Amino acid sequence: MLADSMYDLKQLLSGNGISYCYSGCMTEEILLGIGNAIKNHMQARETDSRTSRSVFAVFVEQVQNVIRYSTEKIVAGGSLEMPFGILAVGDLGGAIFVSCGNLVPAADVARLRANLEKIQGLDKAGLKALHKDVLRGETPEGSKGAGVGFIDIARHATRGIEFDFRPVDAANSFFTLKAMF
Amino acid sequence: MDNIKIGASARTPEVDFDFAANAFSLKGECYPENIAEFFAPLMDRLKEHLARQRGARVDFSFALVYFNSSSAKAILGLFDLLEATAKAGNEVAISWACEEGDDMQEMGEEFAEDLQAAKFRLCPSE
Repeated sequence: MLADSMYDLKQLLSGNGISYCYSGCMTEEILLGIGNAIKNHMQARETDSRTSRSVFAVFVEQVQNVIRYSTEKIVAGGSLEMPFGILAVGDLGGAIFVSCGNLVPAADVARLRANLEKIQGLDKAGLKALHKDVLRGETPEGSKGAGVGFIDIARHATRGIEFDFRPVDAANSFFTLKAMF
Repeated sequence: MDNIKIGASARTPEVDFDFAANAFSLKGECYPENIAEFFAPLMDRLKEHLARQRGARVDFSFALVYFNSSSAKAILGLFDLLEATAKAGNEVAISWACEEGDDMQEMGEEFAEDLQAAKFRLCPSE
């Protein structure tokens, strides 16, 4: 029984092409550890260096987004916040993907959707121009970094990005973003 | 002014700021946990020093393997500071090491687009 259920979970993941999956508290240590494993994995698979670097770059942006913006978190001892999210990295049908998911405030969904739709609609030159504009401008509302994370992800994702939202309760929605290479 | 020499970590670059020689370099990975914490003290020292330079030769060498999107803003800020230093009457040379055809080459070229007074040299390795 025990082996069955764990094996089923493993099969469910591999059936979806997922080679790395993590669900739980996202920390900078997790980012560094899984990031190194992914780097080594791609090196062992002889993935071309430009793709490897792009996958790694997107992985960092995705995980940092969960760390910074997930509304699902537990506060451990004092002020240490542990944000929750899910990460899946793998390849399916010849395309490598990096997906992340986390809860976001329901009130932010419209802004995120508009932002991502705009990015999805841009070509290479458009993304480059927007990247420079945002870097040059004031940090956008709601951003805890430079405000170019999604643009950076889209620039690296040679096969594009997909995203979706799903309401979870009155205050939160589950947000997922998938980048493909 | 005391020089700054910080060894590289898994996610932060090696920093070598030689103020007397006006030779500065950043080398390695750059995706610190907290970008402001890492960059602000470096920028402050650099700003203070470069503001006092007149007719000096200033060399800044970047050899970054990877930087995240938060670091991109800090690096653009460095380019702006170097450009301002060149405009104030100094000879500023920025070199940017990268692998031929990789995304670091692209980023270097993009940062360099806004330079007028500072000299930029791309150093691709095969």
